[in-house]
Amino acid sequence: MNNIISNILRFLVVILLQIFVCNYINLFGFVTPALYLLALLLLPLELPKSAQYLIGFFTGLVIDMFTHTLGVNAAACVLVMFVRPYIVRLLNGRSTVEGVDRPEPGIKDFKWIFTYVLLLSFLHQFMVVMLETASFRNFGHTLLSVLCNTVFTAFVIICAEYIFFPIKRNA
Amino acid sequence: MNNLIEFIKKNFHYFLFAVLLVLSLTMIGKSMAYSNYKFARICQSITGPIQKNWSDMVHKFSLGQENEELVQQNIALMREHDNMFIVREDTLITQMSEEDSLHTTRTRMFDYTHAHIIYRTTDQAYNYLIVDKGAKDGITRDMAVTSPSGVVGVVGDVSDNFAAVIPILHPDSRISAVVSSVNQVGTVVWEGNDCRVAYLENIPQHLEINIGDSVVTSGYSNIFPKGLLVGTVKEVSMGNNASFLTIKIKLATNFNKVNTVYLIENQYKSEIDSLKAGFKTE
Repeated sequence: MNNIISNILRFLVVILLQIFVCNYINLFGFVTPALYLLALLLLPLELPKSAQYLIGFFTGLVIDMFTHTLGVNAAACVLVMFVRPYIVRLLNGRSTVEGVDRPEPGIKDFKWIFTYVLLLSFLHQFMVVMLETASFRNFGHTLLSVLCNTVFTAFVIICAEYIFFPIKRNA
Repeated sequence: MNNLIEFIKKNFHYFLFAVLLVLSLTMIGKSMAYSNYKFARICQSITGPIQKNWSDMVHKFSLGQENEELVQQNIALMREHDNMFIVREDTLITQMSEEDSLHTTRTRMFDYTHAHIIYRTTDQAYNYLIVDKGAKDGITRDMAVTSPSGVVGVVGDVSDNFAAVIPILHPDSRISAVVSSVNQVGTVVWEGNDCRVAYLENIPQHLEINIGDSVVTSGYSNIFPKGLLVGTVKEVSMGNNASFLTIKIKLATNFNKVNTVYLIENQYKSEIDSLKAGFKTE
């Protein structure tokens, strides 16, 4: 119960931050962090997959409504939610997880979190940038944009995660 | 049959994934292809007002800087607008054709800068303003001071970083002005009490002055350029003195609200003044 409320609250805060703050950040003219991905990445893994896709889709759609890129973020988020379990399985490897498996700092070590966030940010940003440009012209710049956005998004999300969960590391 | 249902149940999320992905991709395609895609317009109508309010709020933080830029632009425009140049043979002319300017060296007669009022009085018998520029910024005595809406006064005293301005609202203030409709020169003086009105003196009684006529600087004092608005005629009556009218004017500048002022320097003032002084002593 507590978990549900904190997840909903997190979604609200993060989406508002994205709409009113992050969307106005425009480093070097093309780098905008997708902070809202944080809420999706922190969703409990045991949630039904269909629910995860729907949450991803509508979250992306809300963001799209404010950036006038209908469908772009929605598609990227659905894809991220689809790929997420495989990434988690890949990262967990052979080590068995006891109790609840949550992609949070404190439960996972920094290396795990770092790779998890970086990979999914890359997937998300790759989709967003490619769908927005919708062409292979000037591919070098597109790729640069993907990389810069990925690094910046991952940085912001990791910082935010460690601000959200500072105490749990000792628990 | 049971197997099929079981299969669908088990793989439902794959179908959902495919549906959602296709749905979002068609949305992208549609909003790219048709500029008036209905769903996009509905979304726009929801998010538009929210974003408008937010950007208005954010905009307020940058108003100070924007204001500063506008002041700079105003000064540039004032320089451009003002055609008072000193040309080759020290001839003062007000209008120049393009060809002339190629062959003659022109020196600007008036130069402009700006300052902010940091202290003011408007309800005393002897009012004054302090502005945040002084001798270090090239401010000198007797520079003209105007606001965006009209004449403010004349620089009285200058320290290193600040300057005191004697506004129209000072008993010693004398500003040479003309009623633009009749082109008759008079002097604007202030008689106390009300910071919104002043009087125009030395206008002969035979002239017909209408209420609402504008009063502008004459340009004869070597301080103000010609044609800056001082105020508008508010009341005309026969004065006690037989030959002159008493004209009450509504000042164009709101002295309680003015914040940014422009300072105008006549770069040839001392030269003209020395000529004038020569005549007086003779």
